[in-house]
Amino acid sequence: MKVSLNWLRELCATDLPEDELARRLTFGGFEVEGRERRRLGPPGDVVAARIVTSEPIAGSDHLTVCGVDDGLGTHQVVCGAQNFRVGDLVPLARPGAVLPGGQRIERAKLRGVESDGMLCSARELGLSEDHTGLLLLPAGTPVGTPIEEVLGLPDTIFELNVTPNRPDALSHLGIARELHALTGVELRVPQAKLSESGERIEKLARVDVEDAKRAPRYVARVIEGVRIGPSPARLQERLRSCGVRPISNVVDATNLTLLELGHPLHAFDLDRLAGARIVVRRARPGEPLLTLDGKQRTMSEDDLVIADAEKPVALAGVMGGQTSEVSDRTTRILIESAVFDPAGTRRTARRHGLHTEASHRFERGADEQMAALAADRCAELVAQLAGGKIAKGAIDRYPAPRPQTRIWVRPARVSAVLGTEVGAAEVKQRLQSIGLRSVEGDAQRRLWAVPSWRGDLTREIDAVEEVARLRGYDTIPVVVPKAGVGETAAISPEQRITAAARAALSARGFDEALNYSFVSERELLALRPEVKPVRVANPLTVEQAAMRTTLLAGLLQNVGRALKHGEQDVRLYELGRVYLPRPSEAYPAGDLAWPMDEPRRLGLAAAGHRAPRSWAAPHDPLDFYDLKGAVDDLLAALDVSGTYAPVEEPFFHPAASAALTVGGRRAGVLGQIHPSVARTFDVPETVLLAELDWELLLSQARSLRESRGVPRFPAVARDLAFVVSADAAAATLLAEIRAADAKGLLEQVTLFDVYRGAQVPAGKKSVAVGLTLRAPDRTLTDGEADGLIAKVKDRLKSSLGAEIRS
Amino acid sequence: MIDELNALLAQAKDELSKAKDEAQVEAARIKFLGKKGSLSAVLRGMGKLAPEERPRVGEVANSVKAGIEDLLERAKTQVADRALEADLRREKLDVTLPGRPQKLGHRHPVSQAMEDIIEIFARLGFHVADGPEIEWDVYNFEKLCFPADHPARDMQDTFSLDAATLPPPPPGAPEPPTRILRTHTSPVQIRAMLEARKPPIRVITPGKVYRCDSDITHTPMFHQVECLHVEEGISMAHLRGTLDAFAKAFFGPHIQTRLRPSYFPFTEPSAEVDISHPLCGGKGCKVCKGSGWMEVLGAGMVNPDELTGVGIDPEKYTGYAFGVGIDRLAMLRHGIDDLRLLFDNDVRFLQQL
Repeated sequence: MKVSLNWLRELCATDLPEDELARRLTFGGFEVEGRERRRLGPPGDVVAARIVTSEPIAGSDHLTVCGVDDGLGTHQVVCGAQNFRVGDLVPLARPGAVLPGGQRIERAKLRGVESDGMLCSARELGLSEDHTGLLLLPAGTPVGTPIEEVLGLPDTIFELNVTPNRPDALSHLGIARELHALTGVELRVPQAKLSESGERIEKLARVDVEDAKRAPRYVARVIEGVRIGPSPARLQERLRSCGVRPISNVVDATNLTLLELGHPLHAFDLDRLAGARIVVRRARPGEPLLTLDGKQRTMSEDDLVIADAEKPVALAGVMGGQTSEVSDRTTRILIESAVFDPAGTRRTARRHGLHTEASHRFERGADEQMAALAADRCAELVAQLAGGKIAKGAIDRYPAPRPQTRIWVRPARVSAVLGTEVGAAEVKQRLQSIGLRSVEGDAQRRLWAVPSWRGDLTREIDAVEEVARLRGYDTIPVVVPKAGVGETAAISPEQRITAAARAALSARGFDEALNYSFVSERELLALRPEVKPVRVANPLTVEQAAMRTTLLAGLLQNVGRALKHGEQDVRLYELGRVYLPRPSEAYPAGDLAWPMDEPRRLGLAAAGHRAPRSWAAPHDPLDFYDLKGAVDDLLAALDVSGTYAPVEEPFFHPAASAALTVGGRRAGVLGQIHPSVARTFDVPETVLLAELDWELLLSQARSLRESRGVPRFPAVARDLAFVVSADAAAATLLAEIRAADAKGLLEQVTLFDVYRGAQVPAGKKSVAVGLTLRAPDRTLTDGEADGLIAKVKDRLKSSLGAEIRS
Repeated sequence: MIDELNALLAQAKDELSKAKDEAQVEAARIKFLGKKGSLSAVLRGMGKLAPEERPRVGEVANSVKAGIEDLLERAKTQVADRALEADLRREKLDVTLPGRPQKLGHRHPVSQAMEDIIEIFARLGFHVADGPEIEWDVYNFEKLCFPADHPARDMQDTFSLDAATLPPPPPGAPEPPTRILRTHTSPVQIRAMLEARKPPIRVITPGKVYRCDSDITHTPMFHQVECLHVEEGISMAHLRGTLDAFAKAFFGPHIQTRLRPSYFPFTEPSAEVDISHPLCGGKGCKVCKGSGWMEVLGAGMVNPDELTGVGIDPEKYTGYAFGVGIDRLAMLRHGIDDLRLLFDNDVRFLQQL
């Protein structure tokens, strides 16, 4: 919200400098987010001048040459605007003046005519974007008056952040109240001095409130005989400086009252209200209303409308309608100063996609007591600016005045919550400074009456916060809470395991990625057609419309983009959740139930080469076994063992993909991308992918290992080469070798060569393994070793038909 | 004769010092010690000596022989060493060629920051608690004292979910079973308190949160850590202490913190927390707009209504809570100026950190 410091100082005459005011407000809970200095340069550069003559320039369709009197003499000025008449008062920028936009005014010739300065629009003076014509100054302004003086400048505008709990502070009065509480400087609450010279209001208009829940108070005033015209430049500047566009004196009066007191008002053209009636009621379903923004709207039954005898004329608390809008011909107006229910106003505003100064305040809660004063202030201002007679009395529909809130406050509780001693006297002084009145009580506890505008204060803790805020949070000491013995949290197994996994992946050259949890549904279905993803109802883009069911969609995008940037080698991993529409395993029911399953997965994606391009190493492309090696390292880091078997996954190459099994359960899949999926994601067909079940791996992993000591007896190493069917899986070979070892002497089997080609019959392959034999309790004899090797050979021959080469 | 012998030793020393290779050493050996060598030649004259002189000359002859043998041995080693040196130099490496590369992977700055935060809070006695990202609307808002149809909800633009794509709500789930993408990690406060039932409760919750917002300073997904401490006798002074300890542990001991009054429905009193800008040290720079301070988190004392709502007596127990944006902390730490870089996963960016 924007506040003018000049205006603020009229209500609370603090002489604190601007920086200090900003600091006090910020540390009082109203952050000054921006400042705008409004001024027009040195006084005397731009002054009020009267147009005394005006002649069109021959040969130009829009330029005129004017004679203007600035009190020092009459000057000849060429002007392109059309909105003035001889006798009008306008701003004259004299030669030498520098306008806020940086434009320097010089004596100049236009169309051969001498121009001794420039007549200015509001935009040229940096006051607003209005460039429709000259800024017209009020009649009666003495010529030669510096324009700053005419406009009430210079001024500083603070942009304040007012939190949603403080609707009372959405006005100059509200901020002035805060300044009073923060500085102790006296507060001057505006009063209305009305002269009611018209008819009795009951003879002129009638108000019926049909839904008092949604409109707890409705005050109306009537003014007859107004003349619509522009407001004085000074008031226009005041509106503009607060971000409100000046419209006409009557509308401006409602807005000035809003900015001053914070209460939204609306002016109706009384002659355009059928039956001179106001009916506050729910809309009938489908009822139409043309609102001030020019939109034709269709009402719902939940919308509260202001209607006349026939039809809705305004969307209550949100926006007026065009049929009853104040126009140039308006002479009789009805001013509405009402209070509308916050939740209802919010629903209506949201339903119609509107957010207005009025709805902003009603949603947060307007002050019921302020409605009457605001109506009076506005009527007074209308009479001042537009003339007319204020009807006698006001219509005030207020069937159930809100009872005053009262709260008990214990200074001891204030001290306990703030962690510092706050005395009863200070509590009393602070609460009084924001308008609370003591009802009864003593130093231990006191009952306080809360002023009507502070709807946010309903409990003791609210008062505690006020005291804390006003004395300053910097008065609270800094105390680190003690963690008792045994309360210091240990590094959890999960943290250790995760760190080990990350280290293994880093060592393998995988960079960590963090992708959005929502991706395009099309991409998810290309990878996991069997899971229907949960959709975001209001996504920012279709590319972020479905909750991911796999991490691979995001990683594939990352890989694709990196390769397009010209990266040679990309290896990425992501550790994160997927979102599956099925019951959560960990929290399936009860008040702790998770709405659905969000298991963590570990995704890997790699493309490019085994090693960076270098003179010192071959530049071989990555293949399936590089990825498998990385997964093996990961498993080793977690101290789990897994087995691999071929797998059919639609997004994998059918001949180069595997499933990983850990602890008897499927722990994930790895492989080369299927060429058709590669096309979908626009990545090369060589991309390697893995997705592992992190929850399962965590449950199987060991965070701390047990030492097994080192062997005390030497090992015997033997190599073995044999030829078997090319179809025989390595896992089968190794299992058969192990099966021959009844005594558990085979410490390690290393498959170090696989060969197909010349010297090996078609359909066969030659395999070489290195065997490490060791007994835990003695040195193996050659005889024992030979015996085991012979058994291994026999086993390979008998079960696999192997032909032993050596 | 003794003189002859000594001269022989001196000659051998001189010649061997000039020997260039093994062949020359061998030639010297034959020349001095061979059957027809110089030493034998001299010793052949022994017979002509007086018998009493013989033992003395024999002694000298033995020591000269030993001396020459020693010289030969040394010369042999020397020429061998020299040959080896020369050999080694023949295959000289270009030590300025690049080393054999192997790329190390890089941690994401956000997960690095997250891990650091977890460790810092572990030292302060906080355990990690977990909660779902697709959360009950009731836990994300109502239980945290956001009234329905209240503008406080506008503070957090919410992603809602297509109900037709969601599974049926589990038995005993909160009513109504509306589900959303959580807008903050604060609903884990509710879960942690419901699960613990009784204070003391000290938890932190790192995780992803979502808001329907995207511009230079907002991404629709970001990361927060929630901190909740409920216990008897806890005051706002402890909130300040914990925040200060955290900021100093994360950014360095020179970092200052300050609180400004603010509003969050689930805390009262509420505060925005600023830290002195880690880059300029509080002097004021372009990034902090000259103020020297950066707003990093929201904090406050747990609203008593929230405690009542989970069955904890707010007269007996008090607590504080705060939620900090991890992405922002990571950006501050590494001098990252564009939030969106964090989620582009551009390897050119990831490999810098």
